[in-house]
Amino acid sequence: MTVSFILNGEDVSAEARSVDRLSDLLHDGFGLLGLRSDCRSGRCGRCLILLGGRLVPSCMIPAFRVRGKEAVTIEGFAQTEDYRDVIEGFKSAGVETCGFCEGPKIMAAAALLDRTPRPSPREILEQLSSAPCRCTDPEALVRAVQAVAELRARRLYRRAGQ
Amino acid sequence: MLASDIHFPKDLAEALDIHRRRPAALIFAGGTDILREQGGRGLSLPAEILCIKDIPELGRAGLSERFLEIGSAVTVSELLELGDAALTPLLGEALRGIGSPTLRNLATLGGNLACRSRFMDSWPALACLDGLIELRDQGGATWINVNRLVGEDGRPAFPEGGILTRLRVPIERWDAYALRKVGPRFYPAPDTAVFAFVARAEKRILADVRIAFAGETALRSQSLEASMIGRNLPLSPREAASIAASYRALGSTLPEGLCLQFGALVDGALGLLSR
Repeated sequence: MTVSFILNGEDVSAEARSVDRLSDLLHDGFGLLGLRSDCRSGRCGRCLILLGGRLVPSCMIPAFRVRGKEAVTIEGFAQTEDYRDVIEGFKSAGVETCGFCEGPKIMAAAALLDRTPRPSPREILEQLSSAPCRCTDPEALVRAVQAVAELRARRLYRRAGQ
Repeated sequence: MLASDIHFPKDLAEALDIHRRRPAALIFAGGTDILREQGGRGLSLPAEILCIKDIPELGRAGLSERFLEIGSAVTVSELLELGDAALTPLLGEALRGIGSPTLRNLATLGGNLACRSRFMDSWPALACLDGLIELRDQGGATWINVNRLVGEDGRPAFPEGGILTRLRVPIERWDAYALRKVGPRFYPAPDTAVFAFVARAEKRILADVRIAFAGETALRSQSLEASMIGRNLPLSPREAASIAASYRALGSTLPEGLCLQFGALVDGALGLLSR
């Protein structure tokens, strides 16, 4: 069946068979190489996207379910101010993630702060467990996300004052 | 597959009509349970699918005077956002044990309860809270207590036919509760199980107590619970030991590792009633 949806801000249509995972449709059908579906069980976090504003593993979604929804991949998210906050916050906390988990961790951190502007260390670690990787010390990740939260709060405060 | 084989009803009436005409169509909401066993590139789904995730009537949750009412397509994350005051701490704890935060953004409570291969994380809590499910077909609605979703062999016995539309959780005061998940946490394994316990006291007398444990099979003994109700609190060491022995006998049908853990969890719960 043909599904129409919004992908990274643009109206798109694609042929989605019931055997297709959304991650494969986005990767193979739209050439969005920033995501992969390595585990195909929602564990590795490499296929995380925002679907309707929620962070989800796109390998755990049949492609037909994207019909009428808005999907954002790391390529689309990289155009936003939230993305720049995360990059700057991670940098200021001295945290460098690896190529395997960078995109998923950025998406996970931003999605958390969108709903919980001042997350606790426990909430941060739980959220980032959606993009598991041993490249970064968990305590450093907590500091990094807290730094992002600070930057984001300042930006939103400045915007509200304008 | 033809485009018409995936149905997207816009409301419940249309979904019920499709379900009547196409009873074999797979009812699909969050899909995490359906997809969790499928590790290959291509999905293996039935020829017809009835997608109920975006039906507005099934996506609402809220408190009425006596119940928490939950549409079957409400995601676990959406429920958690209601907070423990609405959910009760026991159900909140059970929901936080489901998968990862990103899977909870997809998984629905309806799907968690309707799993036919094993009991998932929410069943013990909902069994203790005397939750009800509403199954609807074009003939009307049937309400079923969650405790009746267990077959004589202790395995899941979710009714065939109808669409699971709502869950109802009675709002009651509980003075003590415990919820523990044992075994692998992320995805259920044969040795994954959840233990739930609630108790209420009136004037230092045990007024109500419920204990449920479920993984591949479910355990709950309402006769053992009835034998505890009316006892003075705290329980004496002798009473607690006697009740624990009865629960150990009940758990003897479980695999050895789970049986031991069940015994220890019952001891912990009885410990709360012995202080």
